[in-house]
Amino acid sequence: MTNSIPEIRDADFLFVTGSNTSEAHPIIAMEMKLAVQRGARLAVADPRKIWMTEIADWHLQLKPGTDVWLLNAMAHVIVSEGLEATDWIAENTEDFDKVRETALRYPPEEAAEVTGVPAETIREVARAYAATPKAGIYYTLGITEHTTGTDNVYALSNLVLMTGHLGVRSAGMNPLRGQNNVQGANDSGATPVFYPGYQNASDPEVRGAFAEAWGVEQSETTGLNLNEMMKAMSDGQLKALYLLGEDIVISEPNVCRVEEAMNELDFVVVQDIFFNESCRYADVVLPAACFAEKEGVFTNSDRRVQRVRRAVEPPGQARADWEILLEVMKRAGLEQPDYQHPREIYAEMASLSPKFRGISHERIEREGGMQWPVTGPEEPSCEYLHKGGVLRGKGLFVSVEYRPPFEQEDVEYPLVLSTGRTLYHYNAATQTRRNEQLAHKQPEGFVEVHPKNARKLGIEDGQKVDVVTRRGRVRARVMLSRQVRKNAIWMPFHFPDVRTNYLTTDAGDAVTGTGEYKVCAARLEPVPDSVPERVFPGAFAAVE
Amino acid sequence: MAYSRAKVSEFVIIDGNEISFEPGETLLEAAKRADVEIPTLCYDPRLTPAGACRMCLVEVEGSRLMQPACSFKAAPGQVVRTQTARVQRNREFILSLHLADTIHDRDVMEDNNPSHVHELAERYGTAGDWTTLAKQRAGRPDDVNKFISFRPDRCILCSLCTRYCDQVEAVSAITLAGRGAHTTITTADARSLTDTTCELCGGCVDVCPTGAMTEKAALEYGKPERELDKVRTTCNFCGVGCQIDLNVDTEANQVVKVTSPPPGTTVNDGNLCVKGRFANDFIHHEDRLTVPLVRDPGGGLREATWDEALDRTVRGLQAAAAKHGNDALAFISSSRCTGEENYLMQKMARAAFGTHNIHQCAAT
Repeated sequence: MTNSIPEIRDADFLFVTGSNTSEAHPIIAMEMKLAVQRGARLAVADPRKIWMTEIADWHLQLKPGTDVWLLNAMAHVIVSEGLEATDWIAENTEDFDKVRETALRYPPEEAAEVTGVPAETIREVARAYAATPKAGIYYTLGITEHTTGTDNVYALSNLVLMTGHLGVRSAGMNPLRGQNNVQGANDSGATPVFYPGYQNASDPEVRGAFAEAWGVEQSETTGLNLNEMMKAMSDGQLKALYLLGEDIVISEPNVCRVEEAMNELDFVVVQDIFFNESCRYADVVLPAACFAEKEGVFTNSDRRVQRVRRAVEPPGQARADWEILLEVMKRAGLEQPDYQHPREIYAEMASLSPKFRGISHERIEREGGMQWPVTGPEEPSCEYLHKGGVLRGKGLFVSVEYRPPFEQEDVEYPLVLSTGRTLYHYNAATQTRRNEQLAHKQPEGFVEVHPKNARKLGIEDGQKVDVVTRRGRVRARVMLSRQVRKNAIWMPFHFPDVRTNYLTTDAGDAVTGTGEYKVCAARLEPVPDSVPERVFPGAFAAVE
Repeated sequence: MAYSRAKVSEFVIIDGNEISFEPGETLLEAAKRADVEIPTLCYDPRLTPAGACRMCLVEVEGSRLMQPACSFKAAPGQVVRTQTARVQRNREFILSLHLADTIHDRDVMEDNNPSHVHELAERYGTAGDWTTLAKQRAGRPDDVNKFISFRPDRCILCSLCTRYCDQVEAVSAITLAGRGAHTTITTADARSLTDTTCELCGGCVDVCPTGAMTEKAALEYGKPERELDKVRTTCNFCGVGCQIDLNVDTEANQVVKVTSPPPGTTVNDGNLCVKGRFANDFIHHEDRLTVPLVRDPGGGLREATWDEALDRTVRGLQAAAAKHGNDALAFISSSRCTGEENYLMQKMARAAFGTHNIHQCAAT
């Protein structure tokens, strides 16, 4: 997020797209509800009639995968009606002309045909967004989990740059992070392209600095991202895998292929708090402590580094992940300082990363959570980015063209399947389905089907169907719902008895490799003699 | 707040001291900033004031009746008294009334959540121990939800819970219903919370000053909150980074429940969601891994010592690297683990095993 969570309540316009905020980020949704109560206008762009649309001024119910068309059409309205922030653009950005040229080829009337969102709605929202100084964009995986994910993000950032809604309180460009520490994992350099603090791994100078700090030459070969790893595993290039707290055979797309490849690996280590599904392929399973049993920091969505504190002892012989990792490194011959507490590890990282140099456990204890960048011990925490000028120097416009999703519906697979989360479970649900209370509220997976599609197929609410795609077949109960568009279906991916990711495609974004979880072609086959039973939705605003 | 921060401050005179306030502020807000204590039961900074509990009545010069500080707007030059005998008499009287409407015995009352009524009674005194009123408020004994229990005998109708449900969570699942002594907190058709628009955020429990709204599981555990140790930490679910207090029975090495830090102190402003507040069973779940496992040549996983498991780990990785090169190894780190652990994981990949094949679920 360029801006901070507590700023949301003071926004005057919220553009929420590809984010089921009230289910995936309930506390951020509360901030948005506050803003709306205060009089802020809310536009929600989402293929589903999610809870947030109940309080929205506009719901742009676009067809899954047509985001670029919609966003470019909004840009069209802004540039053709002269609503862009001309002076700000001149001062702070580059390459606007290209984007203007592209936008003019995306008129709202044509956008209406492709996306299903009325042209007038697109105009109203674009005008309101451009005209409101405190206008923030909030998005999550509905934007990024596409083969065009990077394009979608560029299309959004073009809107931010052409309106100058950057470096302003309660405005900006705000991806809401899905995991407690996904921001922190990237910050720490757990990514093939960056060392800690977003220092480019392909830069020889950076590599040299880390080689010196760690006392080991650094490889010049570019690393693989997660999606590429899965493919390399299938191709036989990868032979050994170390999995830390991630259940890839639940969470990765096109899981069937992942499972086949896991079988072929020479060696697999799984380090987790539970015997997850991936453990079935493991040669070694290492029992880890959970968040309540260890010390450290998590970095949240708004770049806030906050403390994790030990409240109880880990069960049995389980150990904190940092202790295990240090031990493995030592045994692999890499000498390590005799660290007794994660504060010392954080200090090592901060000393090597200018962005976090001013942050330490000690300072967080004194001052509370700190938002990076904090480049020195006297530097204050940073509430929002790009204040007083774009960080990069000039904000770069990137012109993007619409490309259809990897897979489109056809005669054989006439429905569009999207996947996502519900309020009551979390990711692979290793934690939440072990909660008796939540299991009572929402015990099993389901597939949301529009009543019109159901009628045509002779499917009843609560009966079981097979959801079939080119990659797999999964059985789930039907929930009749007007949350989904006609000819679209939706499934949560939390449940190990409804393995949604057997269905999804692993076609990935060209830059990030992120799989297209939000669009694939599917069909439904009623299961004969299935007795309808009650289905438990997340938020059930539009459930039949 | 809609007022502008640029305006020049005005002053009210509270207990003889000039206190600045900003246009639109209430007496309570002005007093709070100047550390003047005015007791409240139905006030919460996140909610529009209800003026329901009458605890915050203060004397305002020129006004015959005392005024509720929580909703009375400050005005320039206004003279306010918060320490007079009349104000104190009212506090004692109100507390006696509320106590008569709840359970006198503090230990019984605080079987789970702390009672703000009893705390204030101890601090400000009461007008005497009045009889306990006969309870006419209906509960929802048939509510089968496993999260939240409503105990009508503890309710003082401050309406914090219903206002929170309307204004903060904005799902309006619970409401005040009935009249007079029969007024109670209920749902549409007195349905189970799990069959309403309730999203089980548990905010009603957090704002309740009496423990009328309480967590079923913690109640069942049977140790009052005041006997638990609070450990401030960061929630381990989504990316909001809510600050939570793990309430720990230290002797038993057990997390009993999760509460939220006070509003206005952390990024979550005192709020939590269903997962953050209730989904903590996993910490002590019997399925937790407690011993390292290694795979036997025969195919099965068996228990092993840490020494053997770590040795196998290093040898396995090194053998694959020796045979197929460093880039035949891949390290998948975790966005669920700490920043320090992610740092070590990438350091291990890059420095101990010589590959940049390090990633995590940021790609999904």
